[in-house]
Amino acid sequence: MRRLGVVAGVLLVGGVARGDIGNFDLAGKMYTKFMYQNDDTMGCLSLSNPFWVDNIGGHNGVCTEFELGIKGSIGKSVTAGARLQSRWGSIWQDWWENGDLKPSVGLSGGDTSGESLGMNHAQYIKLRGVWARFAPPIPTVKWVTVGSTDFSMWNEWTIGKARYIDRDNGNGIFVEGEAMDDDLLNYTVGALALPKLWGGPGWQTGIAFNDPLARVYSTDWAFAAKLESRPMDALRLKLIGAWLQDWEPDRYSPFLTGAPSADRGADHSVAWVSRFHGLNVTLDGVWSPDAPEWLVVTGLLAASSNYVNPDYATNLVKQGQGFSPVLFVVDENGNPVSAQGLAGVVRAELSDPLDIGLSLKAEYFNIGSEYNAVMGARREADVLLTDGIITTGFGRGGQLPTLNIANEFVDWDEPWYENVIGWHGGTGVLEYLRGTFKAMAEYTFIGYNTDMQNRDTENQYPDFLYTNGFTDTYTFTADQDYANKYDRGKDPRSVYAQWQERTTHIAVVSASYPLPSVIPAKPILGFKYKFVNDLDERQLENANDDYDGTMHLAYASLSLQPTNELKTNLGYEYTFWDEKKRNGTQTGGYYDAETQRHTFRAGLSYAFGGILFTYNLEYFHKDLQRDPAAYYNMVWNVWRAKGTFEVAF
Amino acid sequence: MDKHNFWLASLLLAGACGGGSAASSQGGAAKPAGPAGTVKLADPSGDDDGPGTYKYPTDAVYTPGSFDMTEFEVVPSGDTVEFHVKVDAKIEDPWDSAAWGGNGFSVQMAFIMIDTDHKAGSGVLDGLPGTNVRFADAEAWDRAVIISPQGPTRVNSEIELKAAQWKDRIIVPRITRASGRTLIAVVDTAALGGPPQSTWGYQVLMQSNEGFPDKTDLLTRKVNESEGQHRFGGGTDYDADPHVIDILVPAGGDAKAKQHEILSKYNKAATETVKPEDRAVVPMVYPGT
Repeated sequence: MRRLGVVAGVLLVGGVARGDIGNFDLAGKMYTKFMYQNDDTMGCLSLSNPFWVDNIGGHNGVCTEFELGIKGSIGKSVTAGARLQSRWGSIWQDWWENGDLKPSVGLSGGDTSGESLGMNHAQYIKLRGVWARFAPPIPTVKWVTVGSTDFSMWNEWTIGKARYIDRDNGNGIFVEGEAMDDDLLNYTVGALALPKLWGGPGWQTGIAFNDPLARVYSTDWAFAAKLESRPMDALRLKLIGAWLQDWEPDRYSPFLTGAPSADRGADHSVAWVSRFHGLNVTLDGVWSPDAPEWLVVTGLLAASSNYVNPDYATNLVKQGQGFSPVLFVVDENGNPVSAQGLAGVVRAELSDPLDIGLSLKAEYFNIGSEYNAVMGARREADVLLTDGIITTGFGRGGQLPTLNIANEFVDWDEPWYENVIGWHGGTGVLEYLRGTFKAMAEYTFIGYNTDMQNRDTENQYPDFLYTNGFTDTYTFTADQDYANKYDRGKDPRSVYAQWQERTTHIAVVSASYPLPSVIPAKPILGFKYKFVNDLDERQLENANDDYDGTMHLAYASLSLQPTNELKTNLGYEYTFWDEKKRNGTQTGGYYDAETQRHTFRAGLSYAFGGILFTYNLEYFHKDLQRDPAAYYNMVWNVWRAKGTFEVAF
Repeated sequence: MDKHNFWLASLLLAGACGGGSAASSQGGAAKPAGPAGTVKLADPSGDDDGPGTYKYPTDAVYTPGSFDMTEFEVVPSGDTVEFHVKVDAKIEDPWDSAAWGGNGFSVQMAFIMIDTDHKAGSGVLDGLPGTNVRFADAEAWDRAVIISPQGPTRVNSEIELKAAQWKDRIIVPRITRASGRTLIAVVDTAALGGPPQSTWGYQVLMQSNEGFPDKTDLLTRKVNESEGQHRFGGGTDYDADPHVIDILVPAGGDAKAKQHEILSKYNKAATETVKPEDRAVVPMVYPGT
């Protein structure tokens, strides 16, 4: 919307500036999702809360949300905005309800009164973010932001951009400035309120009923600074440091432990102690010389140090079956110490140096066994060049250096992310472009800095319970499968195991080729083959526990565009996993497994006049054959569909 | 002490000594090799500031040089024609374009405007919606190729919505992709009306992909008076200022200064109501003449 009368619209009333409605930018969006699957769940979100099943997860339902963005310009140097969005969680069929059914009106013996409790199906509009941004006349300062941001000013290794699916924006105070002219030195500093729900030990920063050792989250902040420089046209450098601080009141404070007597030293004050603090620092650079212009070199060095105070943070390695986003490392005397790690990645990209359409990318990566970006990117980013282990033909994904990876609150057709802490190796990628034809080949070798014999996964290092087996991202369900009762393989967050001596080889080739334009509907053929060999000798003294997993994945697709508005895709994927010694224990022995999965998917997108409709229909059949001496076999026959309808205005 | 020497002295970045800009400050045509119709035009680096005042949005995804066109190529090849637009930065995909049916990059967008006849009274004088430029009568555009990270159905939808009167002249490439620092569009020769001729004129308007554009903008990112997280700055809060960050200019003279002069010639007094004559006139570049 064009701004109307920026100058005329500024009224000064009693010394307070306010923006007339004429200078508002308004942006609205309606989003509706249609989901169906041959199961017994209700809802519009394939994977919801992975632990406590909530009331929005499920596969059968139609749901709508509305978002409104408002931005106002108060003058050249001051803007402000807000983002409003309805709460997700009401399916079309329960439009008369505000919340869950009251306890006595449940599925058993309930009535049809429609009475409900709470507001979690009310689709109420919530303030998701509000901010003001201004340019005060302070030397070197360009902009100050107070309020919400998406944290995109930092990076994946320190403080990652907030996930879209987090819905709400985080808040903080940020100052951007130019310390030296001509991009010689720019800076950004900020203080960010930590998210109480996932930003620390136990995926929280002090929720008493979740962690009896902690109870205060309102004092917890992250502080970050960034220095950027472009000392010459060809070189960009960036230094980022982030400090996370989770405070708790000193539970031994005399004021909290007895009568407020001066004799006891109770002085009506309570000291703070650290429940958790973490430091992440990165230095990264991009060198893109004018000659040779086909060369770009990028590099990153990172360091992290994370300390958990076990007096104020329940050790979920020990008491949570190994599910923890932080380590609980101790020294030889059993005293808690910081988990510290270094990481480095360097990549060279040679874009068609011979002018024949052939490009090369090469990357070396070495991520320390205890590097951990507790507030790093949890998804929707990718720090390595490789296709990785977790991606498939239909399924995309990426690699991130945090134990805090989040593969929940997503649908079955969305990307998956895996943890790369401890990865050490290299990737080479050849890419060939010739006219409309594109082909790519990759080889990656991964060794593991996390290799260790008899690592303490009982008390110090979280293993996320499931340490081996290819992760089947297709079979995660919306019911209580957090216990992995359907044997879906390794948890994507798991990088530590009691016994590990592991290497991985990945090879990928892919191609896409548009058929000649005389053929109607602009057909494009796609193909991908992926091979992974994942070896883990586990306990070196035990010759009968060696995991040897081999993956073959073949994928083919045909996309058509019959009209300007309509695009369709048909695809098929075959997956074969041959996994020796996949499941078991050192004491009970290990057993083989073999998996075959056939997946068919048909999709379309239709865009017209500002409206976008998409639809994907998928069927997959999976056979998991396990050693009958220890396990039963399983079969999946799953039909599922997801449609979306959106219009922005 | 200039910035180059400062860093050499203070940070001892010896390995970077040879990294200074070697790009010509002159725009213009090199001698292209290849089949008839092949074109290779250089554009100076450091002129990604529109009329000289524009600033990038402040979000980290808009890395320096992202909209700084350094070279434009036309490469005919049988029944297709490739268009290459090189920028002064590695092209990345921070918004995961595959998630929205995109083409492997996120922030860049380029409009390649083509004058196939160099005749007055033929072609379109107005720029595409959101670019806020126009063309001279004898240099009106006849074809436009859109290099967008958005998928073809989304681009077609936007064309239908905002530029339907010119949809027969606008070409959404068969293939759009990025490689290294280069945006690549592969277009059917037939869609251009035939193979490129040496008499054709070209203009490349560098813009940024906006997934949530204004109702009058064809997927373009706005330029405002002050830069925002996702808005260019250094222009006005109205639509008379050219919303293009870098353009080609005819050979000869200081190309950077010439671009600044061209894009500064708009009616700065125009606010709510903008007439076509309020907008800056951008030239076509005729490399074969």
